[in-house]
Amino acid sequence: MGGRRVFVTGLGFVSPHGEDPAAIFERICLGESAIRMVRSGTPEFGADVPLASIEFEPGDRINRADQPFMARATQMAVVATRNALENSGLMADGRGPEEAGVYMGCGLGGAEILQRSYRTYFEQHTRRVRPTTVPLIMASGPASQVCMTFGIRGPAHTYTVACASSSVAIGEAFRSIRDGYSDVVIAGGAEAMLNDGSVAAWQAVGVIAKEQTDGSGAYCRPFDLERTGLVLGEGAATLILESDERASARGAELLAEIVGFGASSDAHKLTEPSVDGQERAIRNALEDAGLPADAVGYVNAHATGTLAGDPVEIEAIKRAFGAAAQGVAISSTKSMHGHLVGASGALECAITALALRERRIPPTAHLTVPDPACDLDCVANVGRDAPDLEIALSNSFAFGGSNATLVLRRA
Amino acid sequence: MTPYAFMAEVLSEKYDVAREAISPEATLTELGLDSLTIVELLFDVEDEFEIEVPEERATFQTLAEAAALVDELIQAKGG
Repeated sequence: MGGRRVFVTGLGFVSPHGEDPAAIFERICLGESAIRMVRSGTPEFGADVPLASIEFEPGDRINRADQPFMARATQMAVVATRNALENSGLMADGRGPEEAGVYMGCGLGGAEILQRSYRTYFEQHTRRVRPTTVPLIMASGPASQVCMTFGIRGPAHTYTVACASSSVAIGEAFRSIRDGYSDVVIAGGAEAMLNDGSVAAWQAVGVIAKEQTDGSGAYCRPFDLERTGLVLGEGAATLILESDERASARGAELLAEIVGFGASSDAHKLTEPSVDGQERAIRNALEDAGLPADAVGYVNAHATGTLAGDPVEIEAIKRAFGAAAQGVAISSTKSMHGHLVGASGALECAITALALRERRIPPTAHLTVPDPACDLDCVANVGRDAPDLEIALSNSFAFGGSNATLVLRRA
Repeated sequence: MTPYAFMAEVLSEKYDVAREAISPEATLTELGLDSLTIVELLFDVEDEFEIEVPEERATFQTLAEAAALVDELIQAKGG
């Protein structure tokens, strides 16, 4: 589809693998997992759960007086955006580009704040909850606080599309620049739902990975026959997207180009994925980019490590790619950073941008016994150099049947 | 700690208000607090002194007026 070209000119992370882009990418290419078994919740009602949690403190990177007005996910979004603005060279005196748009994805907003208010109500038997409860719970907190912190005055949109939230945010940000509505957009996502009430709710769905019998710590193993489920993670990732003209005019470093976005709905089941819906998202994205499937060298898969989900995505890739499916490298980096839900699309899109830049494909960790139902090239355990890599996809397929695929080109 | 000292401490430590700006005569608005921050501050004060400030009594402007109200509510509680 015609329109202006859109480049990624900055990346910012608050991830289970840290905040430095080069170090994160290196660790992921080495197959190093940030997932650990941790005690979640109280001694009485808690449980040992594998999680990709972050020891996160905003410190002096967010004004002390502003911190009480931000939930954890929002603090992470603000720090990731600070990192991205600095990475892009667009930060001046602590301010970003005033005219920018902010497109953020978030699933549960201030999940820990909601839990705190319910604890007050049910444990202390009082209606006296903190006055900041409502403005901290809002899923739009990350976008709003990014605007306030960095003086951004363009449109601030929040996409809450479960696990596809931040892919949709990036896709819509891409479109807004391509179609001439914006010149620069801060796009990304944030999620911090590792409070025990949320973790227990995820366990109740029956999709959380179980302890491995070999005690290896290899909890999240997409495409593996022994996989038992997904691992929740937390964090934020921000991409600075700029029009070709704006980026060129200031001599910005081009990290990658976004060239297509496709979305679809399954209209099927709440939690059961559909080959048809995912196939249509991938096809729509490639059509949007005007690229044939055989141009794609790498797919950063949604694959969370659930029994039901991974083979459906492989089948969707086979149908969308046709014969080209046999030649494409596919990996799930969730095997190492876990599933960041509303932030996962942004984190994985950023990793995909780095893969194109470095021409290096990250692996699927802990893939020892491939599931015959996942019989494509799933880049087991060891990353690889890809000297010809030009085009990559990033898939995000959400509960509720919302699917999103982004297409990136090496810049 | 007196109500005034407690408020001065919270203003300085949590809301990063400059110590030299904090005085009994200073109004909360002059100190840069918006309405949400003021109700949060009041919430912390209520927690600290185990009182409840009735909504209709929350008409104070200065720190001294707020402290006097809190003192009165502590006395009324039988402290």
